[in-house]
Amino acid sequence: MTYYRMALGAATVLALAIPAKAQDKTLTIAGSGGVVKEITEKVFLPAYEEATGWKTNFVAAESNIMLEVRTMLASGKMLYDAMEVSASNYPIGVKDGLLAKIDYDLLDPNGELPEKAKKEFGVVAAAYSTVLVQRLDKNPEGRKIESWADFWDVETFPGPRSLNRQPQYTLEFALLADGVATDDLYDVLGTEEGLDRAFAKLDEIKDHIPVWWTSGAQSVQLLSDGEVFYSSTYNGRVTKLQESGIPAEIVWNGGALHTSYVGIPKTAPNYEAAHDWIRIRTMRPDLEIEYVKQLPYPNFAPGLFDQMSEDMARNMPTYPENAEVQFVANDEFWAANIDHIRERFDEWLLE
Amino acid sequence: MKFRQILWLFLPATLLLVAFIAAPSFDLFRASVFDPDFTTEHFERLINRSVYLDVMWRTIRVSLTVAVLCTLIGYPVAFFINLQPRRRQTLLLFLILIPMWMSILIRTYAWIVILGRDGLVNQMLAMLGLATEPMQMLYTSGAVLAAMVQILLPIQILTCYAAMTEIDFDLIRAARVLGARPRQALARVFLPLSLDGTLTGLVIVFMLSMGFFITPALLGGRQDTMIANLIEFQVQRLNWSFAAALGVVLLVLTVGMIVALRGAGKLLARRVLKGGL
Repeated sequence: MTYYRMALGAATVLALAIPAKAQDKTLTIAGSGGVVKEITEKVFLPAYEEATGWKTNFVAAESNIMLEVRTMLASGKMLYDAMEVSASNYPIGVKDGLLAKIDYDLLDPNGELPEKAKKEFGVVAAAYSTVLVQRLDKNPEGRKIESWADFWDVETFPGPRSLNRQPQYTLEFALLADGVATDDLYDVLGTEEGLDRAFAKLDEIKDHIPVWWTSGAQSVQLLSDGEVFYSSTYNGRVTKLQESGIPAEIVWNGGALHTSYVGIPKTAPNYEAAHDWIRIRTMRPDLEIEYVKQLPYPNFAPGLFDQMSEDMARNMPTYPENAEVQFVANDEFWAANIDHIRERFDEWLLE
Repeated sequence: MKFRQILWLFLPATLLLVAFIAAPSFDLFRASVFDPDFTTEHFERLINRSVYLDVMWRTIRVSLTVAVLCTLIGYPVAFFINLQPRRRQTLLLFLILIPMWMSILIRTYAWIVILGRDGLVNQMLAMLGLATEPMQMLYTSGAVLAAMVQILLPIQILTCYAAMTEIDFDLIRAARVLGARPRQALARVFLPLSLDGTLTGLVIVFMLSMGFFITPALLGGRQDTMIANLIEFQVQRLNWSFAAALGVVLLVLTVGMIVALRGAGKLLARRVLKGGL
């Protein structure tokens, strides 16, 4: 199946590549520097060049990439053909009209990408999750935490807990524990009553949270020391915890899936070729596996998990069974509402 | 040499203070009322929300408790050292100085190891069969108090000790010769004479406590937030003007409390000198 798909993908790419080859053009891609740049240059860029015959120019935009795009748009000369769009930049790009729509008929004519991967102005390039983690050895005999409602159930699962000292992706968990469906989360949170409901739910657990973590490292340390039995944390850190011999387990149910994207700036000179790049970046499991081996932030490349051991696959936030039970973190919502909610949250903590 | 001729000796220190204390303090004050136009909203927020008043009150309360505990523990220790032969005094002072040379951060982390759920105290309690469930000691007010006292105690001991070495022991002998019982001589001669130095130590410990940050941040829960923690929090949230307002409040509260403490101390000293305890 995988080989068939790969062959099909390669054939499509090849078909596109032939006319392109004659032009010998360059695709300019903007992204972040550091490790991400290294791996991109090693894995994805050569594949793109090989498949299309185009040259690539990867620009590490160290400063504010959205500001650059805005300036280029204003000056009428867009230099980038494609770009990485972080979770927090995506809503800005949408709101300010900096991004071009993705043509999914062009990108994915066979509909291989799952819906969760497809945004109007970007395709998921990498993902991580904020998830509930439990210390299995601290659970009551024969019981396991399976949801945020269980996290709130201090009768069945007694013991200290921890949550992030931030309202974003904490209030959501409270609402989930209160029985709100994942699809309704942000509609509920967007109303004053919904907000009250989230805080009322947090009131219930307040006394059972001796410490609120302020960094991912701290949350893992607390779990590792046994200072808390249950905590939210970032999925990428849990493997390390398990490797150090701590019987920790992720509860994917109700996790917050954070995604960053690859998109196309408006007025990009090579709109269609940029789609080829996006296909290479997001739909090629053979390349993506190399990326994931270095950085545990997978995307939705079809068939990616066939390349992995069962164990590794099950630890990926985008593994179908895991992705299904999570909600997609809504950065647009938080970009618009963070100020007043955070003030309330900070003062609530001091009460 | 005339006073005016040697006045320039103050110049380096004055420049240093103006550049690194006075100017930033002024800047802090400016930032608290200009955001970017003149506004008192940040101070109003501080006064109108009871949570912030709670934090201020808690900061004063914790600092006073730490200062008093340090005095109650430190004074007898200083007295004991003062009574030892010279050589042993040096050794004992050295022992007290050693922890002072260690970073506050490290000493605070040591308390995490001691007080944690799997920490030394809980392990000991479990071993002795005194507790079936580990006690929650970390992230409590008690943990913050214990660590702050432990960290600041050497300062109080050294200040008390310095004050005691200045006291002429012939005065106590004189009191004894004139018929005072040992306890009386101590209470009516030694204690009043050491009071001023002790009070200085208490004020120093109080002042340092008011700005304490690391210890409540690492050992306390959310209900142990002090002003310095709140400032750090607001700076992280990029609410710089609000953080500046908190800084101004901290400065004013600290200076105000120091004046009050000194005043109360003077009053106490006079009463003790006049009528005894």
